[in-house]
Amino acid sequence: MTVLILTSEQDVTADLAVVELNTRGIPVLRLDPAELPGSVEVSGEFAHGTFHGHLSVAGRVVSMGGLRSIWVRRPGTPAARARAASPWLTEEASQALYGMLRCTDARWMNHPDAARQARHKPWQLWLARNCGLPVPATLITTFPRVAREFAERYPDLVVKPVSGAHPGDDGLAVPTTRVRPGEDYRDVAHGPTLLQRRIRKAADIRLTCVGDRMFAARAADDNDAGDGVVDVRFHSDAGPWRPVPVPRRIADAVHAYLTRSGLAYGAFDFAEDADGMWWFLECNQSGQFGFVEIETGQPIGRAVAEWLAGEPFGPPGPGDGEEGVSVCPAP
Amino acid sequence: MRPFALNYARPVREAEVSAPYTYDSALQLNLLPDGGVAARDYAVLRECAATTSTAGSKTHFDD
Repeated sequence: MTVLILTSEQDVTADLAVVELNTRGIPVLRLDPAELPGSVEVSGEFAHGTFHGHLSVAGRVVSMGGLRSIWVRRPGTPAARARAASPWLTEEASQALYGMLRCTDARWMNHPDAARQARHKPWQLWLARNCGLPVPATLITTFPRVAREFAERYPDLVVKPVSGAHPGDDGLAVPTTRVRPGEDYRDVAHGPTLLQRRIRKAADIRLTCVGDRMFAARAADDNDAGDGVVDVRFHSDAGPWRPVPVPRRIADAVHAYLTRSGLAYGAFDFAEDADGMWWFLECNQSGQFGFVEIETGQPIGRAVAEWLAGEPFGPPGPGDGEEGVSVCPAP
Repeated sequence: MRPFALNYARPVREAEVSAPYTYDSALQLNLLPDGGVAARDYAVLRECAATTSTAGSKTHFDD
């Protein structure tokens, strides 16, 4: 039975799991949907009440019926590199590939339906709160008056994109940034705006979840945010990341979140305040984990490989620290 | 007519570091010039920032 990995060739983070799978002799088929059609080929026949599908890349041919799991890591847009690339061909290739893969019994990390839902930040906040995670007061609005009133109640705010996406191809990003004092909120009318009460961070927490396993890492926040940016992703001197135990209450709530969202993988971001409370910020259903593994030694790539294989690989070897998976009682 | 959040946009300082490894379709892994597996060389991964939380942000917004 084969593990199918959908990602780009240059995705070296995926390699952290592929290495583990190769070492255990577990068959892997790695392909980028951007190469379909081209170096990636697909075929499926629906006849006599059955379905038989095949995938091919670089001389490897795998039956879709022989897939044990599918890892949707960082796939390119289907047909993006086809000779006759077009939005129509992208839709055709996407429907063919993902439509057939949905016909298999393979386990998904993550299923496209769960992934699509999980990307919605308003839903993330709602689900996190419902699962018992502390969530900072948040407003998403196109009403300037409502934004002003929110700012009166919570004078110290941050702004961030609702979608998490960058604005475009002009090299701009909108990091989580403190709202300037005396801000004029009229522009709120020109686009949905997410405002959130700023948590005075003692540290950033990245909690990477692979199935039932949790790897928590903490980076003390000693950035003075002189430019107003409070987004750890945009601090070049962030870290070092160190493994920390997960408070029991948080672990239970995160487990509930994953169960209700149908996610097999999730990278949760929390802000730890001065009292040690972890405030939920977001859950990235395909968040990066390589930087955490490199700095903490937590064997996340191995955990991903084990989940994809559907079997444990035995005792961890030297260097495969397990520090991040421990859970501590609630304070 | 500028959305409020764009008033806080800033240029992304993404250094275009050339990855010192190439994809090997036989192993389905990225290899270093000496044949070593790139994923095993943490120093290289740190150097090219290929695994950071914003790696791939141009095409994916799940950081």
